[in-house]
Amino acid sequence: MSANPAHSLVPGLFSGYDCGGFYDEMFASPGIPRPHYLKLFQSLAAMSPAQFEERRKLADLSFLLQGITFTVYNDGRGTERLFPFDLIPRILPWREWDHVNRGLSQRVVALNLFLKDVYGPQKILKDRRIPRHLVYSCRNFRREMIGVDVPLGIYTHICGIDLVRDSKTGELCVLEDNARTPSGVSYVLENRLVMTRTLPDAFQEYQVQPVGHYPAELARILRSLSPRGGQEGSIVLLTPGIFNSAYFEHSFLAQQMGIELVEGRDLIVDGGVVYMKTIRGLSRVDVIYRRVDDEFLDSLSFRADSMLSVPGLMAAYRAGNVALANAVGNGVADDKAIYAFVPEFIRYYLGEEPVLRSVETFLCSRPDDLRYVLEHLPELVVKATGESGGYGMLIGPRADKARIEEFRQCIQADPRNYIAQPVVPLSRVPSYDQNTGAMGGRHVDLRPYCLYDGDKVTIVPGGLTRVALQRGSLVVNSSQGGGSKDTWVLFGES
Amino acid sequence: MLSRIADSLFWLARYIERAEYTARLLDVNFHMLLEQTQQTELLRWNPLIVMAGEHERYGHMYDEVTAKNVFEFLAFREDNPSSIVQCVSKARENARTIRDRISREMWEDINGLYHIVNQFNPADEISTGPHRFCTEVKVGSHRFHGVTEATLPHDEGWEFLRVGWSLERAEMTARLVDGQGQTPVEQHPVPAADNYQWMAVLKSVGAFEAYHRQYHSSIEPEKVAEMLILNPLHPRSIRFSMNEVQSSLRGISGSGPVNYANEAERLTGKVLERLRYDTIGEIFDRGLHAYLKELMVMANEIGEAIARNYFYYEVVA
Repeated sequence: MSANPAHSLVPGLFSGYDCGGFYDEMFASPGIPRPHYLKLFQSLAAMSPAQFEERRKLADLSFLLQGITFTVYNDGRGTERLFPFDLIPRILPWREWDHVNRGLSQRVVALNLFLKDVYGPQKILKDRRIPRHLVYSCRNFRREMIGVDVPLGIYTHICGIDLVRDSKTGELCVLEDNARTPSGVSYVLENRLVMTRTLPDAFQEYQVQPVGHYPAELARILRSLSPRGGQEGSIVLLTPGIFNSAYFEHSFLAQQMGIELVEGRDLIVDGGVVYMKTIRGLSRVDVIYRRVDDEFLDSLSFRADSMLSVPGLMAAYRAGNVALANAVGNGVADDKAIYAFVPEFIRYYLGEEPVLRSVETFLCSRPDDLRYVLEHLPELVVKATGESGGYGMLIGPRADKARIEEFRQCIQADPRNYIAQPVVPLSRVPSYDQNTGAMGGRHVDLRPYCLYDGDKVTIVPGGLTRVALQRGSLVVNSSQGGGSKDTWVLFGES
Repeated sequence: MLSRIADSLFWLARYIERAEYTARLLDVNFHMLLEQTQQTELLRWNPLIVMAGEHERYGHMYDEVTAKNVFEFLAFREDNPSSIVQCVSKARENARTIRDRISREMWEDINGLYHIVNQFNPADEISTGPHRFCTEVKVGSHRFHGVTEATLPHDEGWEFLRVGWSLERAEMTARLVDGQGQTPVEQHPVPAADNYQWMAVLKSVGAFEAYHRQYHSSIEPEKVAEMLILNPLHPRSIRFSMNEVQSSLRGISGSGPVNYANEAERLTGKVLERLRYDTIGEIFDRGLHAYLKELMVMANEIGEAIARNYFYYEVVA
């Protein structure tokens, strides 16, 4: 007989649950929940697998009826899929979140200062704190932005910074920055809605910090950027259109903020001013929250073949007649090779030590690093520096010989374009496995969304917890079979 | 309002309306025609394809006109852009591009309808008959109207929706009466069969009971045509629908009853003048087919004028 009361409660859903040698967000040790998970665990323990299955179906149906879907491209035709939602939330006690919040705020401010510098006086390059060639060889460095005055000096209005918990240390650290057009925040809001509808009983046991104020806060920041002053500004969200994987989010945010959702073909630039085509003629646009990548924004400045473009937009932007969020050229800050220098940015610009640790990174552009990487490919994660969304990535321990050789050749052909990191053993959260009808540990990351108004950084408590739903998988991207969970930041410790 | 959004609202409403109309047509005619075994399949089913306005396309896809083929063609074929499944699909696509501008309830409703019609298995339905399927589509369309009415502000966006479904309704009713009128009487071996088919026309637009209340008479082609073309109050008559188009267009432009603000309004006014003052006797004297053909051409021109004025106008930059 077990001496542990929690252990004797272990019900059907958790029978045979195995922490598998990873940091488990719910269990401190097998059968013993961490204090902030105890109430949830007990609530689930009182539920039969059939009852749980019923709730899960309810949640799925809710997403289907709302049409909350994303599009995957690599199957050749762009299929609409449900973004899988797992009912077991990821819970963060207040003290840990507070630490993360401080670390992210510091990081966002430093990234913004770096961008302002690198497209301005370039002091950091002159002081040789980062190699000039690394910056200039970055695919997303935009020379067109040098010397451009962006409104209020803000580049990184919206950042999604990916955090992972390293099972070895139990510490949350930064895996990558997304300073261009990070997506996923709509799922944070929708997940919460579905969660409170599906597991209201468990939710009530906790005091969870709300997340619903994100659109209002974003709208406030966008309004503050208007070149014609706050009251007069007309704000729009620029989307690539219905076939973009994040289209749902674009329409969702536009609706929540009460702003117009536009496509490139709705906009026209005349005399350096941006207008949208309405049923009553042209109407001026002041602020564009753009979810279109830099290179597709303006066919006169960037890719001439862009179908999404607004010809002349860059000229209007440079003339200060329209504000863009995020700024153009942010890709130099979230480049995966530049990532290795962000702790240095924090020290250089803020005179502070980084609050959050980064993951050790090998730059293939450095000969010593390159040699190490090529010798240790089967143990490392290799990433193409300019890619995002889990594309262009090699997970050494999971890859076959052919794939490793393929990457070896790519790296040798273009070392600047690759970095490598040790495989981080990501922490896990129990997640429902439909095949077994029981809980299994699944790896997660966390993407908080940081809003910066030039003065302070506002972060909606928590963020999007992405989960690799396939057993053993480390890839959490929705495009690669990942799902998501609601993230609860508590007002207290449990 | 963005031109693109007005365009999508207009087409969203048209596609829903077209899906409903096709469902009504199929449902009523399918069951009524089954009884008329004394006629060849071709004679029985051909008018249905004509009424749907897809006679030519059908000819390219099928060798034979049979009940099953016609049902499959009108309800399920993905390569028939007017099939019910395709109309619902396109309505949903339009709604998806403007889901930030319509109410959440509207979107969830259209999205739900899309999932419903796609759950039907064509092979099963073709053997059990179209009633179940058609009922879902009709109810779905009614729900759409109800939800829209109750959750969308009645602003210019609402007016574009109303123009869309009213114009589609006018066109479909014209096509329906025309399709019936074109079936030559002498081809019917039994005289009563003609009335059967006019009865089906009335039932397709849900006007069977209203007809009897109004005329207290048996089914006569002239009276049915009068009801569906000239009646000022029946919601599916051409005149009523055109009146709706006019009132919405005026709502959008803000023009009053004595003048017009654009070509679309001028054309609508012109059609309405005829519908107000023509008698059914005059129409039959001149020829029903020619008259309806003209109405359809004008409805089409109104649609184009709306697009030129509000959606795709030239921008001088």
